[in-house]
Amino acid sequence: MEVEGMPPARLREPAHRVSPRAVRYWTVNALLGNVLAWAVMFVIAWFLPEGRWWSTTLVWLFVVAMLANVVEVVVEPVVRYRRTRWEVRDGRVFVQTGWLSRDQRIAPLSRVQTVDTHRGAVMRLYRLANITVTTASAAGPITIPCLDTDLAEAVTAELARITGQTRGDAT
Amino acid sequence: MLLLTPVRTLGSFAVPLVLAVLGVRRGRDEDPWWLLVVVAGAALAVVFGVVSWAVTRYRFTDEQVQLRSGVLSRRVTTAPLDRVRSVDIEAPPLHRVLGLAKVKVGTGVDATRLELDGVSAAQATDLRTYLLARSRVAGGDGEGAPAPVDAPGRGGTSYLGPAQPETELARIDWGWLRYAPFSLSSLVVVAGVFGVLAQFGDELPIDQIDVAQDAWRWVVAQALLALVGAVVLVVVVGWVVVSTVTYVLTWWNLRVVREGRGNLRITRGLLTTHSQTVERAKVRGALMGEPFLLRLVRGAELSAIATGVGTGGRTRVLPPAPRSVVVQVGHELLEEHGPLTMAMVGHGPRARRRIHVRHQWGTLLVTGALAVPTYLLQDLWVLGRLPDWGPPGLLVVLGLVNALVAESAWRNLGHGLTDRHLVVQTGTFMRTREVLERAGIIGWRIEQGFFQRRLGLADLMATTAAGSEVLTAPDIPLDLAVQLAGRATPGMLDDFLV
Repeated sequence: MEVEGMPPARLREPAHRVSPRAVRYWTVNALLGNVLAWAVMFVIAWFLPEGRWWSTTLVWLFVVAMLANVVEVVVEPVVRYRRTRWEVRDGRVFVQTGWLSRDQRIAPLSRVQTVDTHRGAVMRLYRLANITVTTASAAGPITIPCLDTDLAEAVTAELARITGQTRGDAT
Repeated sequence: MLLLTPVRTLGSFAVPLVLAVLGVRRGRDEDPWWLLVVVAGAALAVVFGVVSWAVTRYRFTDEQVQLRSGVLSRRVTTAPLDRVRSVDIEAPPLHRVLGLAKVKVGTGVDATRLELDGVSAAQATDLRTYLLARSRVAGGDGEGAPAPVDAPGRGGTSYLGPAQPETELARIDWGWLRYAPFSLSSLVVVAGVFGVLAQFGDELPIDQIDVAQDAWRWVVAQALLALVGAVVLVVVVGWVVVSTVTYVLTWWNLRVVREGRGNLRITRGLLTTHSQTVERAKVRGALMGEPFLLRLVRGAELSAIATGVGTGGRTRVLPPAPRSVVVQVGHELLEEHGPLTMAMVGHGPRARRRIHVRHQWGTLLVTGALAVPTYLLQDLWVLGRLPDWGPPGLLVVLGLVNALVAESAWRNLGHGLTDRHLVVQTGTFMRTREVLERAGIIGWRIEQGFFQRRLGLADLMATTAAGSEVLTAPDIPLDLAVQLAGRATPGMLDDFLV
């Protein structure tokens, strides 16, 4: 599968991890979402008639869903923390996300149009911020998730400075 | 313009007005007061048109073209002049009778385009020349010092620059008309007709066949056969007629021209005329489509991929035409020889396995959904009364069909790289070869799903501002993907490689 004269090439992982507090934030976020789902399932299971084949099936489905939720709360944040990485180097952003899947995105800052910082309500409790870098392509926005707020501010300022130096319309 | 809006408003009022008049007339024949309604309606339309004309204005500043419109809710649309990427002139039949045209300005900043409706045809051409020349000067990507620029209508022609001869890349050849029925774009229309016919089908006395006598049953069976034959014939003839007529209406007088300064201009249309101009630097690639039927007769279609030509970012350049013509025009459009004819690099056995497995998931799902009621629930509507061999039979048939589809998807899949372009070919029934200028790539995405990671495959996406804003090479081996990205955009992946 190799092209002649080309060494086999592989992308390395970006250098930096996100803030360690991201693990707790992702856990809380998953819990918040799941608590409601659990409540609904408990209520439905409570009122189900006994001894019918379909109510037994439904209860088993609920058990599976709950196990999936537990994985989402306990396992996913840890794995996600290990796999989420970012790097800004020589005027390019490189970000890797995903826990079961993997999504790597690279964009040169000369082609970047806007740099946004976003902090949700729960994120603020943990002093975290997302940085989103958009390009002229709708398929190309790059999000560096869950950085420490101070770091995020510094990175945003740096990104905006580099982006501002570029002329033209970045298409 | 002063005439246009009233006429159009009248047009949209016409049906309710006529209905109202007819209804009234049926009521009392002798009273001519309904005439008042018509006159009032017409007057209203004229007033509405005049007001709307009076409040709609456009103007040019040094940086922008502005359009103000709206009576109750005022709206100001602006387009920065240095971002003007494409100018389309469109003239529907009514406009043409009145000697008017619509000018659509695409900026590449927004998907929405600024539309100046109802300027005179001569003004429209002037505007186009001015806008495209102005964009070149203001954009600063033109060579040398900015030339002095005059507004249109003041007689200055200095913005035209040195005049060079136009080159014609393509012109309609009515021999191509034979390809019209093989394009699937007209299938939608015929499907609609078929839907209408199906409505009549409900009225047929098919339900009563059971109670009929033997002889009568035979007659009905023959009649049904004849009917089915007739329907098929009507659909086929309808398809041929509709697609041919659409072809003629859309592609009448087609000319694809490379203007003196390199901009691309496409003019076409019988009733509604279109004239689209795209700045040379913003034509970022081409798309060759070969639908299944068209492939059988060695035909293809061609579109240009550009920035700022409205939603989708694609401009149709050639109708279904011989593949050789499409390739030739496509290469002239890309200003490089090879991307449309070069052999593609396949994605290998792992991609083949992935594609086959992905397609068979559908087979399993459908078969499973049918197996549960067949074997477990005897009382569920007709599904419970299916014969026992139903699900296995479906498994085999659907499995074979999906295997064929997957195999053809894998065979069509491939990529290539030339000096200036990245090429990706995908598709099963519709084979598309998409060519993107390497200079137009503004970033990369390498996505690996859970199953793709286990096979070492990835979806490689080149993001761009042009066309659909992303070019995806699906199920490509990871090392090949990284190599391809590194070679297509030298420098962008440096230091990120091991």
